[in-house]
Amino acid sequence: MRRIRSASASAGLAAGCAAALLLAACGGETETGSDGAGTLTVWFPGNSESEMALVNDTIVPAFEEETRADIEVTYVDWADISPKLNAAFAAGTAPDVIGHGVAATADLVHNDRIEDLTPYLDELDEAAREDMGAALPGGTVDGAQYMIPLIMTIRMIVYSGTDFAEAGLDPDQPPETWEDVRAVAEQLTQRDGGDITRAGLVVPSDPIGAQQAFGTFLWSNGGEFLNADNTASVMDSPEAVEALDYYVRLYQGPDAVDNTLGVAWAGSPEAQQPIATGDASMQLSNAGSIGKYQEAAPDRDLRLMMPPAFEGNEPQAFGGPANGLMINKDSGQKDLAWDFITHMIEADTNTDYAEALGALPIHASAVDSDYISANPELQKAVEALVSNHPNPNVPGWVQMRDAMGQHLERALHGEVDPQEALTAAAREVDQVIESGS
Amino acid sequence: MTALMARARRRPRSSRLWPRVMVLSVVTALVLLPFVWMTSLAFTPEGAAFSEVRLIPAQPTLENFATAMRVANLDTAFINSAVVTSIAVLTNCVIPVLAGYAFAHLPFRGSKVVFYVLISTAAIPVSVTLIPLFLMAKNFPLAGGNDLLGSGGSGLLDSLGGLMLPYLVGTMNIFLSRQYFAGMDRDFAEAARIDGASEFRIFSRIYLPMARPLIALVAVFSFTGVWDDFLWPLVVSTSERSTTVQLAITTFASTGNVKYGALMAATILVSIPVLVVFLVNQRGFISGLSEGGLKG
Amino acid sequence: MPTGAPPRPRRRRPHGKPALFGALFVVPAALYVAIFQLGPVLYGLVLSFTRYSPLSRSGPEFVGLDNYRSLYGDPEFGRAMLITGRYVLQVLPITVVIALGLALLSNRAFRGVGLFRTAMYVPHVVSLTAVSMIWLWIYSDDGVINQILDLLGMAGQRWLSTEDAALNAASAMRVWKALGSNMVLLLAGLQTVPKDLYEAARVDGANAWQQFRAVTLPGLRPMLTYVIAMDIIYLAQGFTEIFVLTQGGPYGSTTTVNFLIYTEAFQYNQMGSASAMAFVLFAFIAGLSIVAIRVGQGRRL
Repeated sequence: MRRIRSASASAGLAAGCAAALLLAACGGETETGSDGAGTLTVWFPGNSESEMALVNDTIVPAFEEETRADIEVTYVDWADISPKLNAAFAAGTAPDVIGHGVAATADLVHNDRIEDLTPYLDELDEAAREDMGAALPGGTVDGAQYMIPLIMTIRMIVYSGTDFAEAGLDPDQPPETWEDVRAVAEQLTQRDGGDITRAGLVVPSDPIGAQQAFGTFLWSNGGEFLNADNTASVMDSPEAVEALDYYVRLYQGPDAVDNTLGVAWAGSPEAQQPIATGDASMQLSNAGSIGKYQEAAPDRDLRLMMPPAFEGNEPQAFGGPANGLMINKDSGQKDLAWDFITHMIEADTNTDYAEALGALPIHASAVDSDYISANPELQKAVEALVSNHPNPNVPGWVQMRDAMGQHLERALHGEVDPQEALTAAAREVDQVIESGS
Repeated sequence: MTALMARARRRPRSSRLWPRVMVLSVVTALVLLPFVWMTSLAFTPEGAAFSEVRLIPAQPTLENFATAMRVANLDTAFINSAVVTSIAVLTNCVIPVLAGYAFAHLPFRGSKVVFYVLISTAAIPVSVTLIPLFLMAKNFPLAGGNDLLGSGGSGLLDSLGGLMLPYLVGTMNIFLSRQYFAGMDRDFAEAARIDGASEFRIFSRIYLPMARPLIALVAVFSFTGVWDDFLWPLVVSTSERSTTVQLAITTFASTGNVKYGALMAATILVSIPVLVVFLVNQRGFISGLSEGGLKG
Repeated sequence: MPTGAPPRPRRRRPHGKPALFGALFVVPAALYVAIFQLGPVLYGLVLSFTRYSPLSRSGPEFVGLDNYRSLYGDPEFGRAMLITGRYVLQVLPITVVIALGLALLSNRAFRGVGLFRTAMYVPHVVSLTAVSMIWLWIYSDDGVINQILDLLGMAGQRWLSTEDAALNAASAMRVWKALGSNMVLLLAGLQTVPKDLYEAARVDGANAWQQFRAVTLPGLRPMLTYVIAMDIIYLAQGFTEIFVLTQGGPYGSTTTVNFLIYTEAFQYNQMGSASAMAFVLFAFIAGLSIVAIRVGQGRRL
């Protein structure tokens, strides 16, 4: 009896110990560590198959051959990266080169986690910098360059040439001001009684999409979210109220032209979005996806309209870097990291990368590349990049954006008037600015 | 209800079976509806995905499955997930079951408090415990170049050991085991004790054999939970060598670059092992006591 | 009651050798959980009294009860608690009742029953990334539900973009997802109900419903308790389905507490207040679960 008993008592313990030993045995192979000579760790801001193939098979081998360095790449979709990056910074295991969305930059700068790249950038030749002139400002915080953009995005109106022609409009002469866009939208809207059966113009109205769409209206009416030194909000200006009023009237009133209020169609597959299904004739979209829209609806003659402005203002549309690369402040390989970044933003490499992702490249000169010049609409998108306007890069931006999104949502639903909504949003944004400083 | 009546009156099987089969069929059809579309999408050519979804694709293709298989690391991911999941299933079928049995049948002073404290950890969202757990993985002694105090190397990061770290004992399995054993009579133990059997023998020879449904449950739930987890592997894996199936399939759901057909195909491929494990184990759910084990 | 319920486990005083072995059997599990689960939880508890960004170099800064205090007056958090409560209360009973029905129906060996059970379990298995795309589509304006309504001559709805419908739409998906695991647990629970009690009940002339009330339900009690407690614990932490279907909207009408916690922790990098929220949520879950467990054990509250 006794023997059995003691065996039984230790059985559970043995299982526990075995597990512990197993863990230790399964531990990571001892590495030389990221600070060992010549190893560079890079976290890419995306993980699509085409991106991985290009980077693994072409970009990295070329760079390794050139520099004799060893590159260890991890791919994480930038939408998933925050938990991973936060844990890594807390444990001191963050990589040398960090890819992320641009909205994260300011908080990383604020916490002294990433390197100021301005001195590195200054060493590039003038022409190269000018070629990236539309892209680089999106990666700056307080005037210093912290992120080098990899791909660009800009909001443009996709419209159906077929619908235009049917309505007696000239598809080759799209409107150039928001006032004209509105007029055309009313012409294109089809109604059955009071219900819209085909929307003239649809604009995203989910909280994040609404903030970006509102920015597009605001900036092209001469307004801004924050003052010049980012110390206070100015989004309750008359220009802002006017811009929001325009936005709200797309949905509200008898002449409404958009029946998708609250529907988060922007997250759906291109083929299901209103412009492709024929439920809308114009749609404010990510311009880089024009190829996918065309592919989804080949009969609808889908085209891009250059960014409009309110009369008397310059066109400005939400846009900027979709993602980019930064250098870890604690990296022991900063020069090598910078070499890698310059390799990534070399014009041909970057265009290949953008093509693999179906996005817009960062160089103005890419307009003549095979990828872009093959599609005249894509060419328009690259040309329009000069009008891109990024969101402010300030600490706590994500919080500000979410706060704004909620007030904008209320205004769009007609629950509060534009002035009220903007005053409330401005107040909340000011609170975030205060709590951060 | 019909179950009880059928059993009680010992009617011939077939006459009582069909209403039951009918109801189950209807419910099954409803439950599976979303997967019909999923499967349909998996066989629809990528270009046509979502623009012409129908029950049976116009031009069915295996191209999406080929794309899914081709992804550089799906094979590594399968092996890693299989290793991590199998080990977690093994430990979970032993450690929590033993503890659950003790909480149900061998209470000791303070056992209730211990039980509730252990269980309570399941009620804290992962968002909060993720970073401390990551720090523990990184500072795990004697692993990945670490010294006895856990510094100097990368610990369990980016390794299979790191991947399985949070899964070895599921607190909910302790709870489940306790509840299961609590439903069993204590008198068997009483009788065996009088006969002089040891406590472990009572557990392993009397209660464990009657707990086959429990073991099947623990195995299935542990398998599913570990196989399907995303957040922990996302954080702890930093290279292909420690990737998992759930990380691998996000390749097709990359922001702005969703490949619908391949995503559905990959999801189907990745789900098959779990369903096989379930199918094999589901018999276990209805054996055990109902076979008369109690009467012995 | 016409028949005797299964004997309830007698309460035993903790003493002597069985108790010693009980403690020993618990040690491996307890050690592991204490280190790898309780440890991180306690760390989180400490953080809840601090202001801390994982990105910062300076580490947590002690702020006392500030995080809890600001939650107390925060209407957004209060609303999220209410939404979470409503979510739990509307998903839980439906799931459990349907799952119990299915368990009773499939508690029988016949050709193909394994396939039924496996089919029910499929939703629990398939990862949400892909499934959510299907559900987004099912709920979309031109989606399956609206098409069916259209066939029946009824007007379609905006399932995910109106305040009234969105939480219900998410709940429906959650019921669907949880059905299989609940059914399987209850199925296993049914096996612990001693057969001879049914015999006895039958001899006493009990009809099916009486047998269910007098034999099945009491015998199923421990497992039913587990199922309900488990559902409470997981539902109250509802996050993924919200994240993929509605992002907490429209108007924050589907913003559950756990959705707030994730946002606070990983979007705003405020681990301190995220942890504080987590412990308030914990208190809520613990409260509900204790009620459920006590009721399940047939005790007064």
